[in-house]
Amino acid sequence: MSKNRKNQAAEIRFGPVLKVVLLCSLICGSAIGYVWQKSQIDRLGRQISDLETKVNKAKRDNKWLADQIAILHSPVMLDRKAKELNLGLAPAQPFQVVRLVEAAPVADAAPQFAQRPAAGGTP
Amino acid sequence: MNNKLQFRRAVLLLVLVALAFAGLGYRLVDLQVLRHDELSAKAERNTQREYRQAPRRGDILDANENILATSVPVKTVCADPTLIGGEAATVAHAIAPLLQLNEAAIAQRLAPREWVTKGSDGETVTNEAHYVRLAKNVPEQTWQRVYATMTNLMFTSEGGKLTRKEAEFFRNLRQHAVYAESDQLRIYPNGALASQVVGFPAVEETNENGHFISWIQGRDGIERAMQKELSGVAGWRVTETDRAQHELVAMRDEDVSAQDGLNVVLTMDLAVQHIVETALADALEKHTPKSITGIVMRPRTGEILALASLPTFDPNQPGSISPETRNRVITDVMEPGSTFKIVVVSGALDSGVAKLTDEFDCEHGHFAFAGRVLHDHEAYGMLSTEAIITKSSNIGAAKIGIKLGAPSLYSYACRYGFGQRTGIPLPGEARGLLYPVKEWSKVSIAQIPMGHGVAVTRLQMIDAVAAIANGGWLMQPMIVSRLQAHDGSVVERYTPQRVRQVISEAASRDMIKAMKTVATKEGTAAEAAMKDYVVAGKTGTAQKAENGTYAPGKYVSSFIGFFPADNPELCISVVMDEPKEGYYGGKVCGPVFRDIAERCASYLNIPPDPALRTNAPPMVAGAIAPKEANP
Repeated sequence: MSKNRKNQAAEIRFGPVLKVVLLCSLICGSAIGYVWQKSQIDRLGRQISDLETKVNKAKRDNKWLADQIAILHSPVMLDRKAKELNLGLAPAQPFQVVRLVEAAPVADAAPQFAQRPAAGGTP
Repeated sequence: MNNKLQFRRAVLLLVLVALAFAGLGYRLVDLQVLRHDELSAKAERNTQREYRQAPRRGDILDANENILATSVPVKTVCADPTLIGGEAATVAHAIAPLLQLNEAAIAQRLAPREWVTKGSDGETVTNEAHYVRLAKNVPEQTWQRVYATMTNLMFTSEGGKLTRKEAEFFRNLRQHAVYAESDQLRIYPNGALASQVVGFPAVEETNENGHFISWIQGRDGIERAMQKELSGVAGWRVTETDRAQHELVAMRDEDVSAQDGLNVVLTMDLAVQHIVETALADALEKHTPKSITGIVMRPRTGEILALASLPTFDPNQPGSISPETRNRVITDVMEPGSTFKIVVVSGALDSGVAKLTDEFDCEHGHFAFAGRVLHDHEAYGMLSTEAIITKSSNIGAAKIGIKLGAPSLYSYACRYGFGQRTGIPLPGEARGLLYPVKEWSKVSIAQIPMGHGVAVTRLQMIDAVAAIANGGWLMQPMIVSRLQAHDGSVVERYTPQRVRQVISEAASRDMIKAMKTVATKEGTAAEAAMKDYVVAGKTGTAQKAENGTYAPGKYVSSFIGFFPADNPELCISVVMDEPKEGYYGGKVCGPVFRDIAERCASYLNIPPDPALRTNAPPMVAGAIAPKEANP
């Protein structure tokens, strides 16, 4: 016996609705995810670019400071400063240098070399 | 009826939609297929950018890694006049003081320019200048100030409400009209010190798509000789930019980093160079020669610790460079005079033709030979071979030369490296002149032993003396010690190179014995004697040849010596061209040698000769005796 369509109970079929909602969510989610990902890529790209600029600047500054230290340590600069400041500094004369004579190796140190093979040692 | 109408409407709608889709489809095919190449190229031009990444030029360092030459990053400030329009005066007024340039000149360069050319099809093409260069070598900080000034610049024509086009014009004007390109400037922190060895560069440019690419090209010295190693390899980056010209990092296509140039580490010691140049400058003031040169070399290795020639130049000021400031140590040849006697005497000792004790008649100062009369500066009778060196007797040396014979003399001169380049990696080295025996005149065999009829460079001469100091072994002069990366890792190390053994060790010992007598009261260079070291050396005083004859009153004076004589650490050469206030090598160059030698000995901590130890404190033998264990 067929039912009158007008009298058919207005039941909600949750299954199809859920499927539609899930499908729409999936599509919307994918779209939003895609946009979010693109936004992240753009943001990270800018960060990378900024950091690269900072690294390059840090490298340049580092080199410049290293150069300044090297220049200030150079013998010419030291000589100039010593003369400017009138410190009375002068190179040591040979007779002012106390030279130490290497002490003879102590007897106990010998065994560690005694076992070394005669050939195939140092190149 | 209604159904039929609805059907017709539906069909109409369907046809419209189908037409619309067909139109879109056609457009799609037109854009993606038919005009693909044209449009993709246009899209690439709009978004894709290729950047050249310039390599940093390597530094030149001394043996202790003191900086002799380095590169600092600078900016080249440029402008696009098409983005400036009628605001050239305002922009010039704002940036000219920062760049320390004339405001009117800047305004003129910023003014838009057009010119008409004929295209390939013969049509008239109007061109606009998109690139003008405002200033080179601008420090980074100055550029930042220029950029900030441009970004915040206000224009009188900007008042009121702007159209979209006007707003874009002012945005481009502030952000893109004046921009900077990265560049580097070569600087020499020590100015003129060692400038002839370090050399100087020039900036060369190529025009690529309206933009100038500049690079540093060495012109002289190490800058030129090691150009390939110093310059590095350029990198590049192909990427895309957005509308505001910001890079889209994710769209990077090719990214090849520049490979920086290597640092060149020399064998030279900046402190020794400073000592030498200071001493030479004092001598230049005292004797006012046309030029004066000094070299300090380690005889055992051939390493050059200092090499100087005055007058010199400051590579930071290219205007100070002239032919007068050339590196005369390697470029100029001269008749060596008596310093060349070491060749004939050492050759005679080596071949057994003469011994140190053999005596020669020095004819009391006048010796007629092959139609010429040879002279000594003093009248000597019989002199031993050793005394011939001590007194620097021309006649004695000539007689040893005659006894040795022309082929042997020529052979020894060749073996000492005369007439050939030493191979030092510096541009412009001369060979000198040493004629083959068949081209000698009858008197050559008597003249060459006293240093006439040959032409040598100062470097050849010190290398020959260093060979005697080094047991007869001739070393190739070394100026470059190693190549290293910026992190200090060694890429290539150069080792001392023996060229050949010129004379035997025994002959070299005899020669040193004879040369030790030169810097004594009996010798020609008493002024070269050092207090704490025994010096071996030889003086030279050669009359200058001009226009085929010897010019009266014009001399090249020299002294080449080494110390400590029996354990040589340093070989030093001092040569003056046309000194005033004296001209004998021992008198004018001897004191300069002593000054350099004593200061170098102190700096390098060379132990004094035990035989001359007078005021020295005793050696402390027990000073490093085993101590108590550390607490």
